[in-house]
Amino acid sequence: MLKKMSYSFPEDVLEHVFSFVTTHKDRNAISLVCKSWYEVERWCRRRVFVGNCYAVSPVMVTRRFPEVRSVELKGKPHFADFNLVPEGWGAYVYPWIEIMSTSYPWLEEIRLKRMVVSDESLELISKSFKNFKVLVLSSCEGFSTVGLAAIAANCRNLRELDLRESEVDDLSGHWLSHFPDTYSSLVSLNISCLGSEVSFSALERLVGRCPNLRTLRLNRAVPLDRLASLLRRAPQLVEFGTGAYSAELRLDVLSTLDGAFSSCKELKSLSGFWDMVPAYLPAIYSVCSGLTSLNLSYATIQSPDLIKLVGRCLNLQSLWVLDYIEDSGLEAIAASCKDLQELRVFPSDPFGVEPNVSLTDQGLVSVSEGCPRLHSVLYFCRQMSNAALVAVARNRPNMTRFRLCIIEPRTPDYLTLEPLDVGFGAIVEHCKELRRLSLSGLLTDRVFEYIGTYAKKLEMLSVAFAGNTDLGLHHVMSGCESLRKLEIRDCPFGDKAILANAAKLETMRSLWMSSCSVSFEACKLLGQKMPRLNVEVIDESGPPDSRPQDCPVEKLYIYRTVAGPRFDTPTFVWT
Amino acid sequence: MELQLGLALPIHNSTKGFDLNNVWLEPKEMVGVEPWNYKKNYVKKNKRDFEEAFGNSKHVSQTLPLLLWSGQPNDDDDHKGQNTRTSYTINKNNKEENQAVGWPPVRSWRKKSLHPHQSGCGTDKHGMRMAKTENVGGSNTMYVKVKMEGMAIARKIDLRLYHSYQTLSNSLITMFTKYKKGDKDGARYTLTYQDKDGDWLLAGDVPWQAFVECVQRLKIVKE
Repeated sequence: MLKKMSYSFPEDVLEHVFSFVTTHKDRNAISLVCKSWYEVERWCRRRVFVGNCYAVSPVMVTRRFPEVRSVELKGKPHFADFNLVPEGWGAYVYPWIEIMSTSYPWLEEIRLKRMVVSDESLELISKSFKNFKVLVLSSCEGFSTVGLAAIAANCRNLRELDLRESEVDDLSGHWLSHFPDTYSSLVSLNISCLGSEVSFSALERLVGRCPNLRTLRLNRAVPLDRLASLLRRAPQLVEFGTGAYSAELRLDVLSTLDGAFSSCKELKSLSGFWDMVPAYLPAIYSVCSGLTSLNLSYATIQSPDLIKLVGRCLNLQSLWVLDYIEDSGLEAIAASCKDLQELRVFPSDPFGVEPNVSLTDQGLVSVSEGCPRLHSVLYFCRQMSNAALVAVARNRPNMTRFRLCIIEPRTPDYLTLEPLDVGFGAIVEHCKELRRLSLSGLLTDRVFEYIGTYAKKLEMLSVAFAGNTDLGLHHVMSGCESLRKLEIRDCPFGDKAILANAAKLETMRSLWMSSCSVSFEACKLLGQKMPRLNVEVIDESGPPDSRPQDCPVEKLYIYRTVAGPRFDTPTFVWT
Repeated sequence: MELQLGLALPIHNSTKGFDLNNVWLEPKEMVGVEPWNYKKNYVKKNKRDFEEAFGNSKHVSQTLPLLLWSGQPNDDDDHKGQNTRTSYTINKNNKEENQAVGWPPVRSWRKKSLHPHQSGCGTDKHGMRMAKTENVGGSNTMYVKVKMEGMAIARKIDLRLYHSYQTLSNSLITMFTKYKKGDKDGARYTLTYQDKDGDWLLAGDVPWQAFVECVQRLKIVKE
């Protein structure tokens, strides 16, 4: 061993070489080469990503990687976005902050997703890290503007504060004025999730004194007639999110806003547009040609107005829009947006029984034909056909993320009344690089057979109201080699498929199953026999063993972990 | 991308002391097996099919009697049983399509952002909102929390989906009693609600429209 060591590169050379390797995957691979590489790598690792905060303990992370500058943590399962995870389930960030506050005094970045962040955590962050720069709280909750005030007051080098889609207890709009007058390092601010008004004068002063501000995403409470004065203070903005984009039409306001927008020569991304009124659309026409990203998913304007706008955005790469775009609008996009890579179409009326817009499979086929670089799709609609899915698959073999939500569960092909197995089968067969897939509509076990056979690079699969037997799930778990996250709801999958693939679960980050057919006994067995898995049965109506044996568990969340059982299990979780 | 920290364990080492794989299925074999046909009559001759593969588990049934399905006399019976249960679920769900929690999968944050009025029950414009539905595409929802006495789960329902006390209470009772065995016929329930002033009142005391305008949350009380 010693001899071998003497032939290898000196440590600082290795360290220098490693510094060019940035992806987590490659860094992980490096650390598996040999003991000395493992040692060198762990001392020079600056960024750590933990996909599940219960998969490892903060102490283990800080011990292995002593010199980390940037930490990214994820908490609750993805289905928490849809209210499927009960309140109080966990994913508290405080224990992590506590450990990091002593181990990582030079920590610069914290990025959290779906975690519960208390004001106490924010205060600790603001006081512990001397050179703290980036705080991203994505879909987080549990904190208020008091915690944000502490961040504003104490983090002198803060560059980025992003609260995207978080639920903030909005106590006061004055937290913004806690940024000291001498503070000017802000590069990115996203407060789009806040409900109440922020102090506008504080916002204006802040924007005015931060010359490097590139991203500013306001909340709905900022009125349209204030936008111009903000834009004038920050003509260097690259990404801008408006507040409510509605007001009674006043030509002077319109022309001021128009002027303000057109002086922002760098603008590449626009969002916000709550309650949009079409009369003020022309104000942004001047920047359209430069836009690469446009989020209109809160803009409740109709197809003709959307077409007028999007038709000017010839360089668009990412578009989020409501289904008011309709088939005709998507056709227009297919004709004009040749660089489009990501399209998300959200439902304007997800709970209505009848369709309120004319958005069908045809719109999706149009963009798949017209936009050669399209590779990421999220599409809510009410009718789909196998023929359309086959066309999309053939048109876009470069698809990497394909999420289709047909709003009514178990909707068959509207032309043939067949299941949509063949259509989704075509997607997985033709799109070799597919990494993420969400299924909907009427589906039998056959679609899972296709997925298991073809979707070799699939990493995340979401399934609802589909399949017939355990065999369906078994196809996926035994066939999808790259699968890391699997989430299933309301499917007749049960014990057999899970138990037969118990070892597969250790290669995955997590499995979520709710309203399926898994028994409590099988969960217990799995938990006992697979010590590296945490098997959580989530049931708010009492202990699962008080019910008859064949009564399936309500919700099941299984994840691998090297930290053992967690310590903050709430009473409705049974392990 | 993911920090692995040795989490991705070699499958075979990890099974030490654990016989699920050894007794039931070798993972390696499973990878090798061609995708099985889901219809039994298509089963390929020289490959084990699903039933066969799981048939091995019968050996396990002595050592692991906890497994529900392994106790079944044969797998076919088990499958039948499962299918009936499934179709039952399907029927039930069809009936309650609109109440399926978390479906369609629209982020709660997005819903709130698009329909900010849903919690703001009690605006005197409710009639207006219903009328406006036509124009904006019926995007208004009105969620209130429902609790049932003696039950840990609370649920949220969209009042917009109901048009009378009768439809509301029928739907609520089916919603909650399916968690309780045997109670369905025996017990009687009363629906109460909390109004804007925080007072708890008996549902049905005011006209439906007025009720919808002032209800903050609901509680089902067992008599």
